[in-house]
Amino acid sequence: MTSAPTHPVDDRDPTPVELANCDEATLLGMLDKMEQRHGFVPREISEEISRLVQLRLERIERIRGKLDSTIRRDVQTHVAHWSNEEGNLIMILHAIQNQHGYVPREVAMELSRELGVPLARIYEVITFYHYFKLQPPAKHNVVVCNGTACYLKGSLELLNELRSRLGISEGQTTADRHIHLDVVRCIGCCGMSPALVVDGKTYGRVKTSEVGGILDSVKKQEAKP
Amino acid sequence: MKTLTKADLESLARQQGEGKEWIRVQLDTGGIAAGAETVFAELSRVRDEMKLALPILRVGSVGYSFADPVVEVKCAGMPRILYGRITPELAGRIVREHVVNKRLLDEYVIATRRRSLKLDGPVTQILVRDTGADLGNKTEFFQFSLLEEIKRRGLTERVQVVRAYDMGVYDEGVAVQLLPSGVTYVNVLAQDVARIVAESVVGGRVLDDLLWKESDRQVRVVLRNCGEIDPDSLDDYLRNAQGYQALKRVLCDEKPGFAIAELKTSGLRGRGGAGFPTWMKWQLTGAQKADQRYVICNGDEGDPGAFMDRSVLESDPHSVLEGMIIAAHAMGCSRGYFYIRAEYPKAVERVERAIAQARAAGLLGDNILGSGFSFDAKIRLGAGAFVCGEETALIASIEGRRGSPSPRPPYPSVRGLWQKPTAINNVETLANVPAIVLRGGAWYAQNGTEKSKGTKVFAVTGKVKNAQLVEVPMGTTLRQIVYDICGGVLDDKDIKAVQTGGPSGGVIPDKHLDTPVSYETLQQLGSIMGSGGMLVMDKNDSMVEVAKFYLRFCVDESCGKCAPCRIGGYQMLQILDRISRGRGSADDITALRRICTAMQKASLCGLGQTAPNPVLSTLRYFEEEYKAFIEGGPSYARKISRAQAGEASKETAKAVATP
Ligand SMILES: Cc1cc2nc3c(=O)[nH]c(=O)nc-3n(C[C@H](O)[C@H](O)[C@H](O)COP(=O)(O)O)c2cc1C
Ligand code: SF4
Ligand code: FES
Repeated sequence: MTSAPTHPVDDRDPTPVELANCDEATLLGMLDKMEQRHGFVPREISEEISRLVQLRLERIERIRGKLDSTIRRDVQTHVAHWSNEEGNLIMILHAIQNQHGYVPREVAMELSRELGVPLARIYEVITFYHYFKLQPPAKHNVVVCNGTACYLKGSLELLNELRSRLGISEGQTTADRHIHLDVVRCIGCCGMSPALVVDGKTYGRVKTSEVGGILDSVKKQEAKP
Repeated sequence: MKTLTKADLESLARQQGEGKEWIRVQLDTGGIAAGAETVFAELSRVRDEMKLALPILRVGSVGYSFADPVVEVKCAGMPRILYGRITPELAGRIVREHVVNKRLLDEYVIATRRRSLKLDGPVTQILVRDTGADLGNKTEFFQFSLLEEIKRRGLTERVQVVRAYDMGVYDEGVAVQLLPSGVTYVNVLAQDVARIVAESVVGGRVLDDLLWKESDRQVRVVLRNCGEIDPDSLDDYLRNAQGYQALKRVLCDEKPGFAIAELKTSGLRGRGGAGFPTWMKWQLTGAQKADQRYVICNGDEGDPGAFMDRSVLESDPHSVLEGMIIAAHAMGCSRGYFYIRAEYPKAVERVERAIAQARAAGLLGDNILGSGFSFDAKIRLGAGAFVCGEETALIASIEGRRGSPSPRPPYPSVRGLWQKPTAINNVETLANVPAIVLRGGAWYAQNGTEKSKGTKVFAVTGKVKNAQLVEVPMGTTLRQIVYDICGGVLDDKDIKAVQTGGPSGGVIPDKHLDTPVSYETLQQLGSIMGSGGMLVMDKNDSMVEVAKFYLRFCVDESCGKCAPCRIGGYQMLQILDRISRGRGSADDITALRRICTAMQKASLCGLGQTAPNPVLSTLRYFEEEYKAFIEGGPSYARKISRAQAGEASKETAKAVATP
């Protein structure tokens, strides 16, 4: 699961090695493509794919089992760390989000059990604060600052450019879950406005014409094994 | 670190003084985003390669955001030199040329603001730059003529002539600064060159007719240590910034009530917005009967586009912590909280470290400095809700709940965190405290106006040449801040307005730019001081769009608890949206005003009460812009928005092109 999947070139059938490196969604997508290309799916390939999907599903099940016990342990550690503190819920949520990049439902449920706090109240808090996320983060995060300084220097231009290049609007993730586009208010670099943050790296004084290049560098990173 | 004692602090007070040679790299969020970490690494690499012993230090930011990353160099026999916009390649050159060959780099020096009227000691470097409107094109010529003159007199070995990046004076023709003294000449003409060299460089006399006599308008109290010390080092704070001397004074040397008395003399008012006298807040909180009291530092800094508090927390966390401990002692609090935005990870990290260091040194914990006073401080993270800057919402958030405000009274000083008396102070307010305790309230009150004493930090951004942090005495005018300190409007356009106070504030049009800044004057103009955001807008910025921008912010951030704010804000936004698309009607302006009044009167908390301010103030000064949208219809609206878009991309392109 760790190595980034390499995507087979579109206009030919994937080799077995390439197949082995794809996740389920890509595999299934590939079936569609092949069907379009050949009008049918070659038997060997469909069999190979169904075998891989099966394997993959089994592995996910195994991981999920393990996850359950790690979730419990992690939540217990966080709760123990903050147990002597009044009003610790928000700090625990910060710890969870730091660990997972979002607050997964199973973890919130476990937390509710550990703290003896109704799940509804935990969700009430999570949804109030913009900082907490309920969706897993995409591989890459592109964040446009729309604080006042950046706004005056044309951050909406940057946002429009990103919207049209990625085909999504802020708060959304591309269909392949590679890029998430978001807007924040002031990242504290107003001296370099307008600013963009891509995977934690800040780009200052960004021109609309540079946006393409920045996205390309994200994609290039992707291509590297 | 071992526990510090009173005696340790006394001996530290006597041995002040910094190292003779160093390179400082300003590593705050802004600097790091601009690449200061790579600059730091490259400086260290080249230094090691050249086998030099020179220390390379991490410090916070002096506030020159426009010049990030900023590096300061001090070498034996040379003046302190600040460099701006340093890249890794330049870092290598700084070591080789500046440190080893004692030659300054052309084009990157930021002239010192410690301008002198006297020439003390022989001139060793001359900085030159054309500060006129047609920026920079006479600089090389003057560098060349100065050099020729220096050569003619056989001084080439002794005096270097350098093109500067920024002179600290603007629109004053060719400016020349003589180092190390800092004597600065302005409006220098070609025929003055020979005179400068003959009289000042050779003769050691100041040329009165060229001399820039105005001293720097900035006075650094809050920012006193920013860029001067390593924010991660308690030792640096103790040795080089009189660290914890004020705390020692309060705990060990003075009678109870000393801090509050000095604060009263100082006239310090809260810097988080409302401007409530700090001494009074402390006295009220301390006077409540309770078994437990709390002090909270409000580091939520919600104004989008302002970064004063972030910069102070990142550059000088111990000063804020020391201020908090003094506050706690004055009120009898045993617990304190820093409430900091989670979006400021560097600030959180540095405050966390400062707290741990103070605890290890016995400056937090039981029986601090043997005085019998015990106190501890902790961090709580905000989670991206503007309304949590409001006191009662902030308290709810620390208690682990949704950050919804509750009605006041009871005020937090009576019933606050966990129902106990609580004093909430802004970061800047607390950072002032050690300086006031150490140097006296009367000293602090020398600066400022009748009712607004002391200095205030502003983050000046937007369409301004040099976006930066500025700390000025209250009573300084907006024009002085924008033009004299920050160099005026980007691309020398006409200024239209300055916005202060963020989403709770308003716009101040150019005709009022000569107003001295204070809590009262800004309020009279329909804005507020706020926490210190200051946005410069040029003639192309549409005030309707600006009002809409701020209002949208408040609508997004409204907690939805009370109807006037929840519904009123939404209605106003719809009207503004209609107007800005050229589909408004004449009645809309009346409707806007009516909703504004309702929101101001009936909202539960400050967010809803102040959210109409941007709308009201733009209506007050720029009603004709609203009318133009209404009368001009959709085609006019499209024209305006196209013009703005074009402007924005052109300007950013230009900003990148400058070195
Ligand atoms: C909506 C709203 C947002 C606020 N945001 C901040 C903030 O970001 N930082 C701050 O120090 N004060 C903020 N305040 C003001 C605080 O409620 C409080 O008055 C202040 O922290 C008190 O500190 P001071 O007396 O030192 O100014 C805000 C107030 C309101 C109504
Ligand atoms: S005024 Fe707005 S932010 Fe304040 S309590 Fe009411 S709805 Fe919430
Ligand atoms: S407004 Fe964008 S960094 Fe501050």
